Amino acid sequence: MSLLEVKDLYSGYGKVEVLFGVSFKIEPGKSLGIVGPNGVGKSTLLKTIVGEISPKSGSISLNGIDVLGKGPEDIVRLGLCLVPEGRQIFGGLSVTENLQLGLTGRKDKSTSKKALDKVKEIFPVLTSHAKHQAGMLSGGQQQQLAIARALIADPKILLLDEPSLGLSPTVIKDVFDQLKSIISNGTSVVIVEQRAHLVTSFADETLIMRNGKIQARITPEDAKDELKLKHAYFGSDN
Amino acid sequence: MEKIKNISGITRFSFIELFGPILIITAASCLIGFSSASLMLTVQFALCYFVMVLALQVFVGNSGVLSFGHGAFAMLGAFVSGLLTAPVRIKNNALSMTDLLQSIADIQVNLYLSLLIAAIVGGVVAGITGVFLMRLNGLAAGIATFALLGVAYNFFFNNTKFGPGSQALPGVPKFQNLFIPLLLALVALVLVYLLNVSSIGRTLRATREDNLAAPALGINIIRVRRIAFAFSGALAGLAGAMYSHVAGTVQVQDYYLGFTFLTLSMLVIGGSGSIWGALVGTLLVISVGQVLLMMEQGKAIFGLSIDLPNGARAIFIAATLVVALLWRSSGVTNGKEFAFPNFKKKSN
Amino acid sequence: MVQAILDAISLGGTYALAALGLGLVFGVMRLVNFAHAELITISAYILVVTNDLPLIVSFIIAAVVTALLAVAMELLIYRRLRGTGPAIMLIASFGLSVLLQRVYELIFGALPKSAAIAPWMSGEVKVAGASVTISSIATVVITVVILLIAGYLIERTSLGLQLRAAAIDFKTARLLGVRSNRLIAAAFAISGVLAAIVGFIVVVENPQVSPMYGVNITILALVGIVIGGISSLRGSALGGFMVGVILSLLNTFLGNARVYAYSWLFLLVLIILLVRPGGIMSKANEMERV
Repeated sequence: MSLLEVKDLYSGYGKVEVLFGVSFKIEPGKSLGIVGPNGVGKSTLLKTIVGEISPKSGSISLNGIDVLGKGPEDIVRLGLCLVPEGRQIFGGLSVTENLQLGLTGRKDKSTSKKALDKVKEIFPVLTSHAKHQAGMLSGGQQQQLAIARALIADPKILLLDEPSLGLSPTVIKDVFDQLKSIISNGTSVVIVEQRAHLVTSFADETLIMRNGKIQARITPEDAKDELKLKHAYFGSDN
Repeated sequence: MEKIKNISGITRFSFIELFGPILIITAASCLIGFSSASLMLTVQFALCYFVMVLALQVFVGNSGVLSFGHGAFAMLGAFVSGLLTAPVRIKNNALSMTDLLQSIADIQVNLYLSLLIAAIVGGVVAGITGVFLMRLNGLAAGIATFALLGVAYNFFFNNTKFGPGSQALPGVPKFQNLFIPLLLALVALVLVYLLNVSSIGRTLRATREDNLAAPALGINIIRVRRIAFAFSGALAGLAGAMYSHVAGTVQVQDYYLGFTFLTLSMLVIGGSGSIWGALVGTLLVISVGQVLLMMEQGKAIFGLSIDLPNGARAIFIAATLVVALLWRSSGVTNGKEFAFPNFKKKSN
Repeated sequence: MVQAILDAISLGGTYALAALGLGLVFGVMRLVNFAHAELITISAYILVVTNDLPLIVSFIIAAVVTALLAVAMELLIYRRLRGTGPAIMLIASFGLSVLLQRVYELIFGALPKSAAIAPWMSGEVKVAGASVTISSIATVVITVVILLIAGYLIERTSLGLQLRAAAIDFKTARLLGVRSNRLIAAAFAISGVLAAIVGFIVVVENPQVSPMYGVNITILALVGIVIGGISSLRGSALGGFMVGVILSLLNTFLGNARVYAYSWLFLLVLIILLVRPGGIMSKANEMERV
């Protein structure tokens, strides 16, 4: 039984269909990349998985539990957390308050304090800015806060939508290093990126999406073959 | 603009869409109106409400911007037309009007001219306030127009120089027959239809609030909304004036929350996207209200006598509005214009 | 003079509580609940009809019934209208408001119902050499205490944090595990309790309860939240308070023209909406999001 299993997913907005039969699995402690150009349905896929939009057909199961029809607030409690595109931290609230909000989705409230401390250990910068308004943080710090806020719910699997957006290369490297340590702690990570090269060498497996379908699955080994990668990313007609 | 999908309502002039409603209004008014004296009065009131609902349809229905302010224009129209036509003798002697400005007390004009003036005043005031109000959207527009209604009510309720204040203005001449209000309603209907099929109407619907993000409002849209607001303000002024000539009096409370609520309900229940919706909503609310009223009074309807407690009518109308919104927020007609029933299978 | 100041503060406090109730619901679902008026009204009715019971029992019944009615509104009507847009929701709340008024008329009659509630409050005491009514002091004390409790609830508790976050961005709040249905129901329940308290405060001063009893205060509270800033609870409460104080001042200083006080208030609302759609507390045009 896989941690997250998506089977033959068709989804979209109203009458507009975006996904046409997407399937993949991820095991505990593994990482998965999902890449592809703008508009191929990556965000739709994430929104469907977290329950923001309901799919036309297909199935999504988390630890063997069917999560179809459940809202985002219930899915968080089943151990799946999304760090949304553009981070979406609450700029008007303090850093601590943002982290406390992350506790809402936590099942075991008795260890909340411990979880807070642990997250601050991974992201020390958050301790020094605890009382500041989150909107005052730099882009990279905001991204770290967003990840920390999701992590605090103690997810078994963490989804990140475009975590590199708007960050400088050095900050991106820091963020991905932190993700690496999160994975080594046993949390699975799914990273959705437009910039394929960030993920292909990082993730255990990377799915390349085109036109609402999975075009190819590649390993870090394949990623070294740049021509093959380009083919998969842009399509063979390119 | 034309490329935006799901524009509800009409886009092109169609004979059926205009003459279907005209026929129905004329037939219903005559058939029901001439059956009894009390129903004659009901029909005349219904025609006033219909003009008001048309006024709301033109602006609220087409643009999707909510307005509680039309009651203010109707109030204004009623006061203008009522004061202009009430006999000089009454205005100078009535106890409720000892403070009335002498120049207003001494003026008296012809009923038709006063109706026209009421519409113009409604239109001008709506035009001026629209310059400011049309910059607002959604909730802000709703609250701002509500504030407008509040100012108008507070002013007319307390001011005894420009009206009878909280008292009733006596002696307002009544329409002599059914045909005058009927003709006025038909004229309003044709005007609204022509505006709806014009480029102004199409632009309004294409940029309906629910289709468009608020910050994307362009200058052109604001301009078109201002025109529609002024036009619908004129119609509301006319509706208010008509109401005063059916009631034979003007009282400020008649044009406040209850009136606003009733006419907005008619529009929403019928379907705010079309003049057909405006007509269906008015017809439905008025006829159900009339039947319930007769039940409250213990009269037999079609040989059937059901006793209802007083107040059941008002509860029913309010409940109908809420249920209608829950059931289908686009109204009974779903925003479509009049068409002959199509018995053939739908071919989609 | 002391009485005038106390009156201004107590009126301001009352409107602040009403505005806070409206603002809480607005924050979580972008709904201006006109039917808040009928929550205030039902509380006042219950206090009048249960006047034979001890005051505290009578108030608890009023608070529970009012909160239940508020939650029922959400469960039966507003929940089903989520996503239809602010205009439809506004019309629906307007319809619900009128519906409840008519139901009250059927149950309690169109004529005012009255009872002497807490008659000891109409007595007078000496404060700083001037004699003032006990009720005005009591109102000031009650509103200050309730505002402090509400402030604590909103600023210091997990529920309050969730309410604030949801008011800013409900979608992200849900991603973090904020249960939308429960939170909205909780907002309605709190708003109902606040309405019950407002009902108590006003019914002591004016025990003539009729079906439209709460409409006036609700409209003024709405004015308040527009002035203060509709998307912030602090702004809402402050705006409500300002409306009460402004109204008291206008009543004191306008003389015979005091009947036009409402017009001035509404004009103020219009100007603020045009110049600063997000209220005087806002930084940017927050109303745009609405």
